[in-house]
Amino acid sequence: MNLFSNSIFTQLVSRSIRTDYLENLTGFAWLILQPLLLLAVYAFVFTNIFQARIPNDAGIGFVPYLAVAFWPWTAFSEAILKGSNTVVANAALIGKVAFPGELLPLSMVSATFVMHTAGYLAVLIVLQASGTYIHWLGVALALPLLLLLWLFACAITLFTSALQVFVRDVAQILPPLMTFWFFTTPILYGTSLLPESLRAWLDWNPMTWFVSRLRDLVLLGQYPLSWVDLLAPVLVPALLWLGLKFFRRFAGHFEDFL
Amino acid sequence: MRPALVRVDGVSKYYPRVHRPWERLRAFAALVAGREPQGGARVLQDISLEIMPGESFGIIGENGAGKSTLLKVLTGVISPSRGSVSVNARVAALLELGAGFQPEFSGMDNVRMKASLLGLSSKQLNQRMDDILAFADIGEYVHEPVKHYSSGMVVRLGFAVVAASDPEILITDEVLAVGDESFQKKCINWIESFLHRGNTLLMVSHSMYLVQKLCQRALWLHEGRARQQGEVFEVTQSYLAWHELRSAKEKLGREAQPGNGGMYRIDSFTLHGQGSTGVAQPVIDTSGEAGGKVEVRLGMGEDIGADMVLYSPDGRPPVALFGIGRADGTPVYGVDSDFDRAGPLQIDPHRFRYRIRFNAPALLPGSYSVRGHAMDPEGLRLCDTTERRLRVMGDSREWGFVRLPHDWS
Repeated sequence: MNLFSNSIFTQLVSRSIRTDYLENLTGFAWLILQPLLLLAVYAFVFTNIFQARIPNDAGIGFVPYLAVAFWPWTAFSEAILKGSNTVVANAALIGKVAFPGELLPLSMVSATFVMHTAGYLAVLIVLQASGTYIHWLGVALALPLLLLLWLFACAITLFTSALQVFVRDVAQILPPLMTFWFFTTPILYGTSLLPESLRAWLDWNPMTWFVSRLRDLVLLGQYPLSWVDLLAPVLVPALLWLGLKFFRRFAGHFEDFL
Repeated sequence: MRPALVRVDGVSKYYPRVHRPWERLRAFAALVAGREPQGGARVLQDISLEIMPGESFGIIGENGAGKSTLLKVLTGVISPSRGSVSVNARVAALLELGAGFQPEFSGMDNVRMKASLLGLSSKQLNQRMDDILAFADIGEYVHEPVKHYSSGMVVRLGFAVVAASDPEILITDEVLAVGDESFQKKCINWIESFLHRGNTLLMVSHSMYLVQKLCQRALWLHEGRARQQGEVFEVTQSYLAWHELRSAKEKLGREAQPGNGGMYRIDSFTLHGQGSTGVAQPVIDTSGEAGGKVEVRLGMGEDIGADMVLYSPDGRPPVALFGIGRADGTPVYGVDSDFDRAGPLQIDPHRFRYRIRFNAPALLPGSYSVRGHAMDPEGLRLCDTTERRLRVMGDSREWGFVRLPHDWS
């Protein structure tokens, strides 16, 4: 795809980072602060009000358990929601300048991931400082996993951003769908606490694999390999390729519908 | 023979109707099924053109004729509904004021963005940044957000980046008109040297002067179709003539038609040219009612002759008046037989023939109408009027109606 040598892409990424995160001086602070506050809210609600149970055999506290999965999810979800809007939002650019339109959603997803990866590292440091043992070798090993998550978000966004040009309702449907996805992913709870019948369904959720692998790596320093680990590095690029084909198939007609 | 840089083959563009949600869905469903969405506006129909390297090509036409859409198809911003487009060169397009500019960002940031869209690497951009800023010449404003710019400043910056991107084809859509006089001159100078270096230009403009000055060939788009394509003077002149005729028609609709009930009337009126070379030009008989629909064509400087037979119920010779005007009705010259003390040739007791010849008139190329009027014998009352079209052909970039004798010293 030759994305990184393309200066349109880097221009778009830096443009989105600047408009979305660095508009003001406190922008970057809020990037860390907002999820931290959100984390505090979830921690309070689910430890005190709902009394959430997590598999406690490894002696992990609820907050680190939540935080390690919550950040990548936030990046993933925000990237998809923001990225889906990019083609419609940049109607003026699409209609006037000839350039590969897929760079719009891809750059937005990438900008979101770049910023949230920074936030993720900051949170891991905060966790380490507050007494949680972080496996830093596991964090290094988690980078390919985050890379895969980024590609996965890119793939989905290529579909949704193109679709939103034709079916504007995508903008309304997507947020509740992402919320549904959030709650069907074991971020706030652990799968081992679910009834057997439900657990089988959850295994089909790709995000289940992402978050449990992340926890294994970062909090436990383990990597139990399974057939999914071999399949994912093939399936995600394949999905990305399909997404690109889908996007380009309709890109020439965007202007008619914008 | 070198291959064409730009080849447009039978291109049509329909915009599907997508205002209501179900229309969007239906159009989208058609796209998914691999069909073109039905209905909607036909913006371009069956356009073909070829542009060779080093050529300059103008596209003219009324508002809404499809010029901008054609440029969008050419630059690849939209795909045609039918037909094919191939462009085999590095293109820089200036389709709209500040396209790709983000108003919140400074001019400098936008230059970087625009440069990347035009395919400049950051190394190339850094090398050429001084040239860009010098060309745009907007001073310290370049560090201000673009939203504080005047439209002229936006164009300056946009054109400066385009100029720096060193394209092989420049495609512009009536954006230069926004700049002030000196900037327009700067742009035109740049375009001329750009063409001189053997590059190719494709421009849309409503300024026939600019099109004639910069382009060799032109395409006249009318309601999405190619009405005429060819040598620039030919195309622009017929376009202007068409405009004049149209406004003349509007004028005629407003004014009361001159009455035909006068006693003295025109029996026949014939317009013919005779080339200065002595070769007779086609003479168009005009006794029919539809006479006004045909036109006599002359080269510039050729003689114009007119014959008019007038009917007089009382046998006294009526006064004849001949006039030449632009097709929109602006008079150029008129003279009557009374003033010149010219007598008619009596054909029979009631009919008189007048003949007039305008020797090598200085009329500039364009569309004219030649009128004949019948007046009463006293030369006071206008009784009847008829009109024929005349088209003067030729290449000229002079202004006005007539060529005045002049010399440069």
